[in-house]
Amino acid sequence: MSTPAGGAVTLPRSPTTGEPMTTVARRSLGGLWCFLVMDVSGTLALVISYTYLWSLNVNNGWAPPGASLNASQTNAVPAKGTATFATEWPFWAILIGVTCAMLLMWWGYRQLLSGRPGALIGLGTLSLIVIVAMLVAQVWQMATFPFGTGNGAYASAVYALTASNVAHLLLVAFLALGIVLRTRAGVVSSAVPYQARLVTYWLMWVSIAFLLGALLTSFLLDSPNVNPTTFGFFTTQ
Amino acid sequence: MTEPGAVGVTDEPEAPTNRPDSEHRLRQWLRRPYVRAIVILTLILSLVMLPLGWLIVAAMNGTGGPASPVMSSIQLTIIVLTVAAVPITAFVFAVMLYSLFGWRHVRGEQVPKDDSPAIRTNTIGVVLWTAVSSALAVFFVAWGLVALAQITANSYGTLPANEQPQDLDPLIVNVTGQQWVWTFEYPQHDRVTSDVLYLPVDRPVYFNVTSKDVIHNFWAVELGVKIDANPGAVTQTGVTPNKVGTFNLRCAELCGMHHAYMQTRIQVMPQQDFTSWVREMGGGRTA
Amino acid sequence: MTLTAAGPSAAGTAEVFGDHVPQPAQHGRPGGVMRHLNAGTGIALGALLAIAAYLVTDLLIAPGATTFTFAPTAPLYAYFAGLCGWIVGFTVGIGALVGPYRWLIGRELTHADAEYLAGRNLGVSRYFKFTTDHKVVGVQYLVVTLVIFALGGTLAMLIRTELGVTWAEVFSPAIYNSMIGTHGIAMIIGMIVVVMGPLANFIGPLMIGARDMAYPRLNALSLWLLVAALPCLISSLFFGGIQDGWSVYQPLASQAPPGMLGYQMTIVVFAISTGVASVNVMITILMMRAKGMTWSRTPIFIYGIFAAALMGLYAFPFYMYSQLLGMGDLLAGTSFFNPLEGGSVWLYENLFWLLGHPEVYVILIPGMAVMMEIIPVFYRKPLFAQNMAIAGIVGVVALSGLVWAHHMYMTGWAPAANYPFMLSTELISIPVGLLVLVVIGTMWRGTVWTRLPVMAVYAVVFNKLIGGITGVYLSDVPVDQYMHGSMFVVAHFHYMLMGAGLFGAMGGIAYYFPKMTGRLFDERTGAFGLWTAFLGFQLTFGSMFVAGLQGQPRRVLQFDNLFNLSNWISTIGAYVIGLGMLLFLVAIVNSWLLGRPAPANPWGSKSLEWQTATPVPLENFPTLPVVTGPPYDYGVPDPYLTATTPAAGPTPHQAAAQPAATADPR
Repeated sequence: MSTPAGGAVTLPRSPTTGEPMTTVARRSLGGLWCFLVMDVSGTLALVISYTYLWSLNVNNGWAPPGASLNASQTNAVPAKGTATFATEWPFWAILIGVTCAMLLMWWGYRQLLSGRPGALIGLGTLSLIVIVAMLVAQVWQMATFPFGTGNGAYASAVYALTASNVAHLLLVAFLALGIVLRTRAGVVSSAVPYQARLVTYWLMWVSIAFLLGALLTSFLLDSPNVNPTTFGFFTTQ
Repeated sequence: MTEPGAVGVTDEPEAPTNRPDSEHRLRQWLRRPYVRAIVILTLILSLVMLPLGWLIVAAMNGTGGPASPVMSSIQLTIIVLTVAAVPITAFVFAVMLYSLFGWRHVRGEQVPKDDSPAIRTNTIGVVLWTAVSSALAVFFVAWGLVALAQITANSYGTLPANEQPQDLDPLIVNVTGQQWVWTFEYPQHDRVTSDVLYLPVDRPVYFNVTSKDVIHNFWAVELGVKIDANPGAVTQTGVTPNKVGTFNLRCAELCGMHHAYMQTRIQVMPQQDFTSWVREMGGGRTA
Repeated sequence: MTLTAAGPSAAGTAEVFGDHVPQPAQHGRPGGVMRHLNAGTGIALGALLAIAAYLVTDLLIAPGATTFTFAPTAPLYAYFAGLCGWIVGFTVGIGALVGPYRWLIGRELTHADAEYLAGRNLGVSRYFKFTTDHKVVGVQYLVVTLVIFALGGTLAMLIRTELGVTWAEVFSPAIYNSMIGTHGIAMIIGMIVVVMGPLANFIGPLMIGARDMAYPRLNALSLWLLVAALPCLISSLFFGGIQDGWSVYQPLASQAPPGMLGYQMTIVVFAISTGVASVNVMITILMMRAKGMTWSRTPIFIYGIFAAALMGLYAFPFYMYSQLLGMGDLLAGTSFFNPLEGGSVWLYENLFWLLGHPEVYVILIPGMAVMMEIIPVFYRKPLFAQNMAIAGIVGVVALSGLVWAHHMYMTGWAPAANYPFMLSTELISIPVGLLVLVVIGTMWRGTVWTRLPVMAVYAVVFNKLIGGITGVYLSDVPVDQYMHGSMFVVAHFHYMLMGAGLFGAMGGIAYYFPKMTGRLFDERTGAFGLWTAFLGFQLTFGSMFVAGLQGQPRRVLQFDNLFNLSNWISTIGAYVIGLGMLLFLVAIVNSWLLGRPAPANPWGSKSLEWQTATPVPLENFPTLPVVTGPPYDYGVPDPYLTATTPAAGPTPHQAAAQPAATADPR
């Protein structure tokens, strides 16, 4: 933001409270950390759900059955055939996409710091496009799982993780679009660049959340509990 | 620091000078009227509250308990906890009472003109309080851990259901909760089933507990046994009843509409009576 | 740095707190579309969308379709759609999404916009809008909390009526169970917000010498999300109710009627509301304290609400996700908690109590902190051992996340885990004990000014000790083996949450009433109500302890004759509580409408919030204060330690001996 002609060079200040924008930026960074704690807790809840159900394999119901059942048949206990877990590579592909979007946004932010807001507009738009593409990919992946939501605990946990991914992608799409539009409007500028930085941080965390999901769905597949209790009956004794 | 109490009690004879300074100060402090009053109040309140431990146990035993060593151990723990907690509670109550009726108070809408003494902290008091409360907490934990270990040795099947002892000495009962009845199965006796829990006296019993629908809680009240009946899992507990009689078994976890009515009897009987009951029900393999 | 304004809609400068600050372009009149939005438009749009979504979903689902629990499908999905419609409609209609939209297109608020949003010159109507002023939000919170308590309290009376009428079923089991659940969750929500809402919002920024909360619009959002959650909770009563207790253990909840969705939606919205409020409180405290307010000069109330916000921040998402997963089980047929298909009931219990126990401290710590704020003022003494109070709060926060499984001693999920959880749970008594020490240390040798707020402190400490000692019993696994799931537990947590939390909040409301409303509190009626409620409270929950010891399980509507006597006493006591609370409510309403105008500082307090004018101006302080001393700078030098001339004032000997001679100096 330029200073008024003839005036002393001053820090940009918040139009509503008159505080220096550096103060506002510091405060916003603090708020970001707090929201991060919340989202980490929530994501942790999903990770705990996945690992807990994986370790217990209650009623031998962890792995999805071989044949896909549709949602209306969920009251049937799935026949235990060969388990068909979700293909692993889409999780990693989407993770790589999101990481790319994060790096693009970071690059744009560096450019903004060097006084080139136009570069942030371009790179931010690119980042937005990648995010939207990943959103489409994520929805496509959910639609093509070889199981339905009702096919056991693994299916439930994976749907929850991917649904959380969709929510995260929607949020970062909103944020990336905001950065592009706001940079065009001159609100995010070399003088007041902090929001681009915060959005990059948020994208970093989202990448980590995706990484957690990809690790779980790649390495924790067959439950270690191969001889679980049968529901409702005493088999031995 | 000025000599404490120098002003407070001028008319008393000086303490002997060969005493350690700390003892001297403690005597001076104890001679303050409010300290005496609070100490006396604490003692009185402690004496009033001490019987609470036995009253609690009496309330628990209204229906014929304790009927097992586990329950006796629980009750002993309650008495110990109460006795340990009473003095500190009595002290706090005494300070509260004295602050209302002992130290001065002012009324009215005007802000009081005189402030009270600015006691910002008191190192001895804080250290003492922290030490005592920590010691109490450590004692509670230690007592609890030991008691839990004993109870576990007496009750939980430490082995999974399918690895429990096959000899005939302990009785095994498979407990199934479902909305809203209990079913007891005696796997050692041709899987005889019953909706009243029959147990022989003075013989260890292992319970394997599960549920067919939602979570129930298997609570053998006078035996001091409690464990959730979880759908999709088998939990173990156990007890050795040591009293013949009829006791209560209730569901202690909200399990739907008729949760309140999900209760039955426990019939603890001598071994020969139990044997004949099992025979009557068609179970073989007596012990 | 002066600059002449170029025109009404072009960028210029505005005077912000005596300073000229460049402004972004002003689009239209200040406030923009927010000028036309208020609670009325929110409710109208919410209701419209709710009804439309309900009807459309109902039409779309084939008649006769059943869910996997063989319940008819249509009400479930239609009710869910209705709830979503309500929340979307209400948040849009009240203008909660205008801020994000403006952010997206880069249209920054001007000072004039912000002033409009804060409710300058809007009169009473600002209380019915998406107003950002923290004082308005605080008052709104107070009213909403009272409404929640009225709902929960009415249900409590009905529950006790059922339990008192031991010879018949007054309500059907389904209705009784749903009353239990709704009472529980309504009271939990009410208790969580009763201090963190009205007091932390209204008083917090004043106490630290700030002009507003850190994020004013998020502040308004947290309040209106709470309001949005209430119809979800209340409507559940008409869709079969919450029949599974406030903890809605699975898989019982998945065979519940559609009302369960009302609970789950309430929790999801409420968790977001609390999370947003927590972020706001934490950042406000961390970054907006007045100049000179170092951590050692920060009042203890600020520590308390900071601790509560911190615990809420990490704990509430677990609760929210446990309910989201439960919704998945109900609506999408997933099996997180359905053991038939690989779900685990213990997973739910763990997720739930990961919130459930920190939440208890989210309720208790602010209540205790208010109390510690009140005591120095009415004893005219500094807070005793303030560092220990801070240490106590820090200790509780540190242990709060490590104790959740003491609610699960008897579930059998991991018997070996009972040992460490018993250890961590009993260690909590040390920091909580420190807080008690601070209270009685401040009482020590003080001259008490017997006003209503300080009377509440006595009630709180009494109840808290009883709740604390019974808590030690319950934390001990062997004892819990008898008491878990019995009425003893119910009595214990009512002593903690109601006896300590609610009575503390009542004291806090009485204390801050003059600042919040500009009126003096009717202490005669209020004290009468408080003590009546206190008496009834002892009757109700004292005899409930006995019922629990005799072996009465929780959440039952019929029981053996053995328990009749204690339940009759409990019911009588409950009506006495009801009467007392009603009196207190009358005192609040009466003083709010007709009370005498309050002076700026009726208690002679030295903390910042009382140094500004009453009613508090929009900008709180004409110039921001600078703090130069400790927060509780009351008191004269201790005569026992410093006085050398007995002539100066009453000697300690006299001062102490005189009351000792007669038990009651009156």
